[in-house]
Amino acid sequence: MITFTRRLISNNLPLKSWALVVISLGTLSPTAIAQNNQLRVRLVADIRSTDPGVNRDANTDAVVLHMVEGLVGIRENTAIGPMLAEKIATSSDGKTYDFKLREGIIFHNGEPLTAEDVVWTWKRYLNPSSQWRCLSEFDGRGVATIIGVEAIDKRTVSFKLDKPNALFLTQMARPDCGASGIYHRSSIGTDGKWKEPVGTGPFRFAEWRRGQYIELQKFEGYKSRPGLMDGLIGAKKAEVDRVRFMVIPDSAAAKAALLSNSLELVPDIAVSELGDLNGQSAVKIEKVTTAALSGLLLQTRDPLLKDVRIRQAIALGIDSQTIVRGITNALAKVNNSAVPETSPFYSAIQKTGFQTDVVKAKKLLQEAGYNGQVIKLTTNKRYHSMFDMALLTQSLAAKVGINIELEVLDWATQLDRYSKGDYQIMAFGYSARLDPSLAFEMFTGPKDMQPRKTWDNPEAIRLVEVSMQTSDLKRRQELFNALHKQLLEDVPMIALYNAIQINAISSRLNGFHGWPGETPRLWNVQFR
Amino acid sequence: MFLYILRRLIFAIPTLLLVAVAVFTLLRSIPGDPALLMLGDSASDTELTELRRHLGLDLILPLQFGKWLIQVLSGDLGYSITNGEPVLALIVERFQVTFVIVVTAVSLAICISIPAGLIATWKQNKGLDIAIVVIATLLLSVPAFWLGLILLLIFGMQLAWLPVVGYVALSDDFYQGLRYVLLPIITLAMVETGVLIRMVRSSSIEVLRLEYVAHARAKGAGELRVLLRHVLPNSFAPVLTMIGLILGHLLGGAAVLETVFTLPGLGRLLVDAIFSRDYPVIQGVLIFTASIYVCINLVVDFCYPIFDPKVRLE
Repeated sequence: MITFTRRLISNNLPLKSWALVVISLGTLSPTAIAQNNQLRVRLVADIRSTDPGVNRDANTDAVVLHMVEGLVGIRENTAIGPMLAEKIATSSDGKTYDFKLREGIIFHNGEPLTAEDVVWTWKRYLNPSSQWRCLSEFDGRGVATIIGVEAIDKRTVSFKLDKPNALFLTQMARPDCGASGIYHRSSIGTDGKWKEPVGTGPFRFAEWRRGQYIELQKFEGYKSRPGLMDGLIGAKKAEVDRVRFMVIPDSAAAKAALLSNSLELVPDIAVSELGDLNGQSAVKIEKVTTAALSGLLLQTRDPLLKDVRIRQAIALGIDSQTIVRGITNALAKVNNSAVPETSPFYSAIQKTGFQTDVVKAKKLLQEAGYNGQVIKLTTNKRYHSMFDMALLTQSLAAKVGINIELEVLDWATQLDRYSKGDYQIMAFGYSARLDPSLAFEMFTGPKDMQPRKTWDNPEAIRLVEVSMQTSDLKRRQELFNALHKQLLEDVPMIALYNAIQINAISSRLNGFHGWPGETPRLWNVQFR
Repeated sequence: MFLYILRRLIFAIPTLLLVAVAVFTLLRSIPGDPALLMLGDSASDTELTELRRHLGLDLILPLQFGKWLIQVLSGDLGYSITNGEPVLALIVERFQVTFVIVVTAVSLAICISIPAGLIATWKQNKGLDIAIVVIATLLLSVPAFWLGLILLLIFGMQLAWLPVVGYVALSDDFYQGLRYVLLPIITLAMVETGVLIRMVRSSSIEVLRLEYVAHARAKGAGELRVLLRHVLPNSFAPVLTMIGLILGHLLGGAAVLETVFTLPGLGRLLVDAIFSRDYPVIQGVLIFTASIYVCINLVVDFCYPIFDPKVRLE
């Protein structure tokens, strides 16, 4: 057979060249790229742009936050700390913030960072033509207006507000705002259009092949903060030469790539995908509790659900523990509070929740005159956790006598219904909010003006507004505790758990850690 | 001939217009707000309103349609809502990937299926015929995505001969590019080979029963000559139609396969655009796909007389 093959190859030139191609194709190892100190990370979809906080989604933020940094950033426990700033001084009236910049910071193009650069970047952010998504938080439509940004000296920038805003620094640090990242003016072309980020982050922009990958390069001139790794601030060092974010929509392909050493990191893998990876020596699994919140939204204006007794019956009739265990394979804990369990404001009162009581639930239903009318629970199959949540709720509610019917939509349609408040019950997941005020605000508000809000209790709306203007930590804790107690009474939403982020990491990799802020951090990560 | 081409091209205009109306109307009748999908659940109402206005989604539908149609007629398919790229450039870029894979795979399938189908016809109801039919049925029954995953498992993971994810354009690096497109091409070729073998076999058997074939045999022509000279040209017309349909269907985007092999092709562009309700991209891709169908049908019609002299274009 071997002789025959050899003869065939030597007598047939085209065949010979094909055979050579096939043989050499087999000899190239897919780990070749990894050996060049390139870290490959999965992205489920392509990024939208490289313009911080403008045309973005979670994928975009994950990439952009490796290139740009703001004056402040999020700590590991989701509190706010200085990033490009060395010190932050607040005036006694809470209307002026002075940021002293750290010394020696340079942009990716080698230019030093100055107060003028901060002023220039912020003027662009505050210009409506920039389409910055967080503009409304600072131009008067939010709590307070920025009435001035000026450079006091080469290293000091002053922000003036029209009134105090306890959330000023938090809003600045939001990942979806691009962390209000400071970039050099060369990021903008001569035509005024965005080119690429020339920031101060540990990685610099290298190449973006749309639909395929975006590649970042180690920034040799990066000046790290001292200390330990701490959220999006703290010590940062680019240990790999290049990072390639690869667009791999299919989870099976991503798993195959990880197991065949064609990929080093799959962030945020679904619980249902874990089965194949557990026990694989080439892969480490790491889980971390995030500030994202999953739960059931109840439409308080629905003819049936406007009766609080029915809403309370649902909350008491379904066992949160069973649902959360079922959805997350017992990886997550029940949290009936809007305040994330990772937050410093997650007090003993926030830990209290719904205690399953079937007898009481049945009694409430009877009092409300519920006769088994159908209640529609809207969900989708794009996010398995939401579908599982709906399925388990339906099954548990049936035991109390509540007749729930599932309505499975595509995600875009469900989101549309959510924004219009067009549902009875909806299985939903909110992205992480950095501050409890924002966590409560995400579902609290007047329904007439904002139909997507599910809780329009005037007292709750007032408490949320007060919490946004209060800087005193003790007072804020009291406000959040009062809001939580009221939430358990009104049941406009049944908060169930804070999402678990599961990361699948190649065992060849060292130093990667997930954190409550969700976005992957690829600094301080190295190959073994 | 020239008049025939002209007439067919003129007929294509109302077809494409109809497609444009249907695509626009159906797309806007399904729920979903691109602005909301872009900004996410943390967006405020002001932000949503502003983005809708920026994207031109606040205009009434007939005005949106009119603006889009005028753009399309002037050769501009607009800009993607999600990334701001020109839709035409996106389509051209992505179509190149799909084109290389689909045309190579279908060519490969034609090269295998014609001889295999003729052999099956020649050895009708004998062992070889049954074996070919069984293999063909198996190939066309297997879903392409499953076959793709199995090939990935064997050649990507077990043997580690070929990469599991990623893509390199052949124009950038032919050798590396080949490694990335080999498995998708083989997968697609295998599936389409099954379809075409069945087609070649059934239409050849039909022709084989005709009198002129018996006459050719009576004249003493060998079986190979009968098959190649008399059966194949006369039975090729339905196969050609099938090839046209396959090409039209696949060039419009082999979305599932492109997703499995992480290829940045036209199909994946369309699927991603549907998920994010990127109206200009969806509309552009669908108009482009419809144009491909029209063009391929035209080419197939022109090819008929080459294989079957009885067909006249006039």
